[in-house]
Amino acid sequence: MPDVLIADDSEFMRNLLREILEEDHNIVGEVENGVEAVEVYKEQTPDLVMMDIVMPIRDGIEATDEIKTSNPDANVIMCTSVGQEEKMKEAVKAGADGYITKPFQKPSVMEAIEDVVPS
Amino acid sequence: MKVDIQSLGTFNQLAHEGAKQATQALSQMTGIDAVVDVTKITLLNREDVGEDLAGQDFVGVQFDFQGALEGDTVLAFEADSVGPITEALIPGGADGEMAKSGVKEIGNIMMSGFIDGWADYLEATIDHSPPTYVEADGADILPEAPALDDQPQVFVFKSQIEWVGESVNFYIYMLPEYDPLADLMTEHAESESDAIPIDKLGVFNEMTTNGTEQAAENVEMMTGIPTEAEVTQISFAPIEDVPKQVGNDTYVGTVVEFTGAPSGYLMVLFDETSAQNVAEALMPSEPEGEGLTDEHKAAIEELGNIMTSGFVDGWANVLQTSVDHTPPRLVHDMGQAIVDPLAAQVGQHQEHSFIIESEMRTDEIEFSSEIHALPNERELRQALDDLEVDRADETDADIEQIF
Repeated sequence: MPDVLIADDSEFMRNLLREILEEDHNIVGEVENGVEAVEVYKEQTPDLVMMDIVMPIRDGIEATDEIKTSNPDANVIMCTSVGQEEKMKEAVKAGADGYITKPFQKPSVMEAIEDVVPS
Repeated sequence: MKVDIQSLGTFNQLAHEGAKQATQALSQMTGIDAVVDVTKITLLNREDVGEDLAGQDFVGVQFDFQGALEGDTVLAFEADSVGPITEALIPGGADGEMAKSGVKEIGNIMMSGFIDGWADYLEATIDHSPPTYVEADGADILPEAPALDDQPQVFVFKSQIEWVGESVNFYIYMLPEYDPLADLMTEHAESESDAIPIDKLGVFNEMTTNGTEQAAENVEMMTGIPTEAEVTQISFAPIEDVPKQVGNDTYVGTVVEFTGAPSGYLMVLFDETSAQNVAEALMPSEPEGEGLTDEHKAAIEELGNIMTSGFVDGWANVLQTSVDHTPPRLVHDMGQAIVDPLAAQVGQHQEHSFIIESEMRTDEIEFSSEIHALPNERELRQALDDLEVDRADETDADIEQIF
């Protein structure tokens, strides 16, 4: 099972993502800001990071940029409520591999993951 | 067609002063102690005018007026207040036709003062019709909003008058014809530097309607509760009146600061029952504990976050820019207490504020939600200047195309 790190400041959303993913994925960590996301990524090097954008301390785009700089092969899917074209372009520039907008259903999450980390 | 912020402020002040004169006339005639609570100018869709009066019975006095300004106006009393008013006016004889006549006369005197203030400022004549007595519930107390084929939105001047010590309000609505009002605003614009294009204000309002629909869709997708976007409007009021727009009911919701074009503050607010209902619809299992638990609050926080994005993303996409917002901060307090510190922040740089407001609700469970945005006035003006009207419907981003 692929290792996944969930980065979201909302406990509610972390729970929801965990419930969607835990059957087919190994959740290696749940963090609530971009700084912790980078730290845990470097410790665990999971196969995939599900990354929120709007988070305190450091946002998800900056964290993605740092993760991808340290490991260009890292897989990061932005998992966010933000549906702005300019923000999506920023995410691409930071190296994001996929983008899901909240609210989402399980099929759209699984589809995005399959695109980035084929089973 | 442009109007400057100062003129908009002056027009608001005129309505406020007119309402004060009308209130003084009421006090002189009846001894009732009343004060003008809020005066605001609102741009909204014609069919939404008076939505905030729903569920109440009113007795009113309507007039139409012509001259430098054209349109209709109404003074509306909450029905329960009419007895004491007519009794004060005609002690012992406040029944039937005499009571109606008393209401008509008091309305006539109050509203003459209201309209005369406008005429004096405009240095012109505004004639008004004899008063018409009306009894109706909700928005039916209002005259029909002026219709114009290519202009679905109307400006409404609304003053709320509070009967001191009683939980009773009176309202003055003025619904001017769009074109004469827009002409007047343009004529009285004193400075190009802070002028806003009012036609684009209407377009921005439509974008906000799209944003509200997106927020309602998000609620429906997360909770399974069919949710309808309701009123969307842009109001303009003095900063000190902004907190009063939200009222003193207790709300649960989220506040974010947004930065970009424009910047400002945005609140997603639920009454306590709605908050509990919608949070439970989001939860995978029954909550542990009574009332609003931490689980409820976490759900509200995330819902507020997603509704905020649904609301502002459209602005960013149409303006081809980005609008960032802070993580949501949960609030649980009286409406005015939530808004006060935000209005104080915005008020550091401006005397008046635009307030972008929308509502959504559902019939399935008791659920309603309000979104209030307080943008920085200068940046909103810049955003309106930059707005390309023919891009106004391009509120959605295409993820497939970018990724």
